[in-house]
Amino acid sequence: MLFWIVAAALTFGACLLLLAPLARGNADAADARAHEIEVYKDQLLEIERDMARGLISAGEAELARAEIGRKIIRLSDAHDAAEPTSPSRPLGRWIGALAILSLPLVSWGLYAATGSPFYPGQPLQARLERDPSEASVDELIARAEAHLAANPDDARGWDVLAPIYLRLGRFADAATAFANASRLDQPTAARLAGEGEALAAGANGQVTADALARFEDALALQPDDLRSRYFVALAAEQAGNGDEARRLWQEMRDGLPEGSPWHGVIAAAIEGEAAGDAQDDQVGMIENMVASLAARLEANPNDVDGWQQLIRSYMVLERPQDAQGALERGRAAFGTASPEAGHLAAYGLSLGLEVEQ
Amino acid sequence: MIVEIGHFALVLAFALSLVLSVVPLVGARMGDARLMGVAEPAALSILALIALSFAALTVAYVQSDFSVANVWENSHSAKPMLYKVTGVWGNHEGSMLLWVLILAAFAALVAIFGRNLPATLRANVLAVQGMIAAAFLLFLLASSNPFERINPPPIEGQDLNPILQDIGLAIHPPLLYLGYVGFSICFSFAVAALIEGRIDAAWARWVRPWTLAAWAALTGGIAMGSYWAYYELGWGGYWFWDPVENASFLPWLSGTALLHSAIVMEKRSALKIWTVLLAILTFSLSLLGTFLVRSGVLTSVHAFATDPTRGVFILMILVAFIGGSLALFALRASSLTAGGVFHPISREGGLVLNNLFLTTAAATVLVGTLWPLLVEAVSGEKISVGAPFFNMTFGPLIVPLLLAVPFGPLLAWKRGDLYAASQRLFVAFGLSLAIALATFFIVDRVSALAAFGIAVAFWLVFGALTDLALKSGVGKVSPAVALRRFAGLPRSVFGTSLAHAGLGLTTLGIVAVSALEVERIAVMQPGDAMDVAGYELRFDGIFPFEGPNYTEEQGRFTYSDRSGRERGEIVSAKRFYPARQMPTTEAGIASRGFSQLYVALGDRAPDGGIVVRAWWKPQVLFIWIGCVSMMLGGAISLLDRRLRVGAPAARRAKPARPAVEPAE
Repeated sequence: MLFWIVAAALTFGACLLLLAPLARGNADAADARAHEIEVYKDQLLEIERDMARGLISAGEAELARAEIGRKIIRLSDAHDAAEPTSPSRPLGRWIGALAILSLPLVSWGLYAATGSPFYPGQPLQARLERDPSEASVDELIARAEAHLAANPDDARGWDVLAPIYLRLGRFADAATAFANASRLDQPTAARLAGEGEALAAGANGQVTADALARFEDALALQPDDLRSRYFVALAAEQAGNGDEARRLWQEMRDGLPEGSPWHGVIAAAIEGEAAGDAQDDQVGMIENMVASLAARLEANPNDVDGWQQLIRSYMVLERPQDAQGALERGRAAFGTASPEAGHLAAYGLSLGLEVEQ
Repeated sequence: MIVEIGHFALVLAFALSLVLSVVPLVGARMGDARLMGVAEPAALSILALIALSFAALTVAYVQSDFSVANVWENSHSAKPMLYKVTGVWGNHEGSMLLWVLILAAFAALVAIFGRNLPATLRANVLAVQGMIAAAFLLFLLASSNPFERINPPPIEGQDLNPILQDIGLAIHPPLLYLGYVGFSICFSFAVAALIEGRIDAAWARWVRPWTLAAWAALTGGIAMGSYWAYYELGWGGYWFWDPVENASFLPWLSGTALLHSAIVMEKRSALKIWTVLLAILTFSLSLLGTFLVRSGVLTSVHAFATDPTRGVFILMILVAFIGGSLALFALRASSLTAGGVFHPISREGGLVLNNLFLTTAAATVLVGTLWPLLVEAVSGEKISVGAPFFNMTFGPLIVPLLLAVPFGPLLAWKRGDLYAASQRLFVAFGLSLAIALATFFIVDRVSALAAFGIAVAFWLVFGALTDLALKSGVGKVSPAVALRRFAGLPRSVFGTSLAHAGLGLTTLGIVAVSALEVERIAVMQPGDAMDVAGYELRFDGIFPFEGPNYTEEQGRFTYSDRSGRERGEIVSAKRFYPARQMPTTEAGIASRGFSQLYVALGDRAPDGGIVVRAWWKPQVLFIWIGCVSMMLGGAISLLDRRLRVGAPAARRAKPARPAVEPAE
C-alpha cells in the first residue's frame, strides 16, 4: 500500500511542478537580442579591466572596442528588421494540459507493464532470520555457511555440508569442507575418500596426485573402502596402466555383495578401459590438428593465444624440442621486446622451457 | 518496496523527459514563455527522480537483495561494502543508470545556471537534452532494466567480475561518464543553435566552460583507466590501443579540438560553423564509444556487458542522433553567419592547425578501430588492428602537433609574427636540446629516437613556462613588477600552461618507458635473486592469504639498490575468486622517485619454482602526473569566470607595436 501512496505522490508532485510555469499569466517571451547586447557590454568592461591590469595596450584596447562596437551596430540593425512574434495562447494552453496529462498515463502505463508492485524487497539479512521451515535448500546451505563462518571449529557442521557441496558441483568448497572435518576431528576413510573425490571432480575427473594420496590414506585406515579402491584403479588407468586397473576392478567386483550399487559402475569402468586400447587413432588426429595450428601461425603469427596453444600441445605430445622452437618463433614474430613476447616467455618458463634474455 | 519505487521513479523520469523534449521546443517555436518555462521544473524533476532510482538500486546492492536480477548477477554477500556500492555501476544496466543520472544532472545545471541565457536558446538546449535522456531511458527500461526481479530469489549472488573489484571502479567510470555526458551539453547547444538558425554571443560564452569541464573529466577518466589497467592486468602496459580505450580516446581527441576552437569562438567569434560541427562530432564519438563497449561487436578486454540486441538498440539511437544532427547541420549551417577574419599566421591560425591535426588523428584512430569490423563484414575474416598500426599512423601525426604547441599561445590574435615567437622560444629550445643530448650521451646511447622524444617532452614543458614568463614581462620590467603581473595573470593563462606542460610530462613518461624500460623473466625458487636495472630483487617465498571473498597466494620480494642496501618489500599476488571461479593478478609495485619496480607472478613451473616477471619502468609516473596536470589546467581555466575577449593585433603598418604581450 505504501508503494502506491509514494508512487501517486511522485506523479502528483511532478504534475504540480510542471503546472506552475504554465499557470503563469504572461506568455510573452523576452527579447533574445537584449541578452546579446548584455554580453557585448560585459566584453567592453572586460577590455577596460585588461587594460588596467597591463595585459593589453591602449592601442589594442581601442581596436577591440571598435570591433565590439561594430557587432552591436550590426545587431541593432538586425533587430529593427526582425518582426515581432505573436504567440497563440489557447494552443499553448492545450499543449500544456496534454503534457501534464501524459505524465500519469505514460508512467503508470509503462510501470504496469514492466513492474512488480506486489513483490516486496528481499534483503539477505531479513531472509536468513526467517523461520527455517519455510526456507529453500539454498537458504539452508547459506544458514549452515553462516553458522560455520561464526563457529569454524564445528567438525559435524562441515560433515553435513561437505557431501551437499559435492552433489551441487561446488567441488572446491566440498574438498575444503571434507579437509576441515578431518583436521578438526580426525581423518576417517569417509572424509578422506570424500575429499579425494571432490579433488578429482574439481580436476574434471582426473585423479590428481593430491587426490590419489587421499584415497591411499583412506585405504590405510580402512582397506575395504569401495570408493577409494575404485578411484585408485581409475588413477592407474589414467596413468596408462590399463591392465593394473582392470585387475583392481575385477578384484573389487569379486568381493562385492549381491545387489550393491557398485556392480554397474565397475562393469562400465572395465568396459571403458577395454575400449581405450583403440586410442592410437586419436593421437594421430591430435597430431594433425597441431600441425594445422602450426601452419596457421606461420601464415598469421599475430596470435598470442594460438602460440600458447601450440606450445602447450607440443608439451602434451611430449615434444619439448618442438615446443621450444615454437616458443622462439612466437617471440620472434612479435619482436622480443614486445609485451606479447614477454607474455609468451613467461608462459614457456612455466612449462619448463628455456628463455634467452 | 524501495526497489519498486526506484523502478517507478525511472519510468516517471522517462515520461517527464518526453515532455521535456517536446513542450519547450514547441514553446520556443511559438514564442510562448509559459511552455518554455516547463523546461526548468521538468529538468530538475528528472534529476531528482533518477537520483531516487539510483539510490534505490544502491540500497538493493547494500542489502544484498538478490530478488533484483542485477544485484544477483553482480554482487555477493561476502563482498566488501565499498565494492557493493561501486558494483552498482560495475555492470551494464547500472552503468547506464549512472550515465542517465549524470545526463540529468548536467541538464539540471543548465536549467539552474542558464537563467541568463536567451529564453529560446535555453528552452531548445534543454529540449535536446530531454531527447537524449528520453532515448537512453527508453533503452534502459526496454532492454536493460536494472530493476528486473527474480522470484524466488537466489540465496547468493554471482559476484562482481574480480577485475572490477578495485578502487579504480569507484573513480574511472564516473569520471569517464562525466566526460562523455558533458559533451552532450555542447551537442545540445549546437543542435539548439541549428534549430534557431543563428549563433549569438551568449552561445559562445556558454559552450567553452562545458567543453572544458567535460574535457577535464574525460582526461581524468582516461588517465585513471590507464593506471588501473597498468596495475591490475599484470602486463605492465598502460595503453593497449584496445577498441574500448580508443572509444574513449576518440571523443578526447575531438573534444580537445573543440576546446580550442571554442576559444576562438568565444574571443573572436570566428570558426562558428566548424565549432558547431565539432560539438556534434564529439558527442557522436561518445555515443559511438558507448555502442562499441556495449554491443560487443569488437572483441576487447573490457567486454563486460555485451549483448547483440542491446547493440541494435544503441545503434538506432546512434543513427537517430548523429544522422538527425548532421542532417540539421546540412540544412542550417549555411544560414549561420561566418565570424571574423584572420591571417593564417595568428593565434586563430594556430588553433586551426591544432584542429586539423587533432581531427586527422581522431580519424586515423577511428579507421583503425573500425577496420576489423569492415574486414569482417566484407570477407568474414577476423583480424585485429594492433599497436603497430597506431604507432605508425598516430605517431607521425601527433609529433608535428606537439612541436607546434608552444608557438600557439605566443602568437597574437588576428595577425601574428612567427619569427618573433620563435625568437622568444629560443631559450626553451636550447634547454630541451641540451637535455636531449645529455640523455643521449649519459643515460642511453642506443636510441636517438628516445633522445628526440625527450627533447619534444621538455620543449613542451619549457614552452609552457616561456609563455608564463613572457606574459608576466620577465626581462622587460623589473622583477617586482613581473612578480606582481605574474600574480595578476588571468587564471586561464595558468590553465593553458598547466595543460600544455602536462602534455609534455605525459610525453616524457611515455618516451622514457618505451625506450628505457628493462624487463626480466625468470623461474625463481625462494631465496633466489635477480638483477633488474641495478636493483637486486630477492624472492622470499609464497605465502597464502585469505581475503573476504578470495584466496590469495602472495609472493613476497625484498629489493635492494646498487649499494646493497635493502629498500623495501614488494608483494605480488595471484588471487582466486571462488564465486566466479576466476583468477586475477595483483602486481607488486614499488615507486622510486617517479620510476617504478613492477613485479608480476606467472604460473608455477614444474620444478616447484614460480615464473616471475619484473620490469624497471623509468619515469613511468609522469604519464599520469601529466594527465593530472592537464586536468588541473582545465579546472583552473574553468574557474576563470571572466568574459574573455581576444584583442586583435594592429596591422604591421601601424607604428605602435604593442609593448606588452596580448591578453591570453
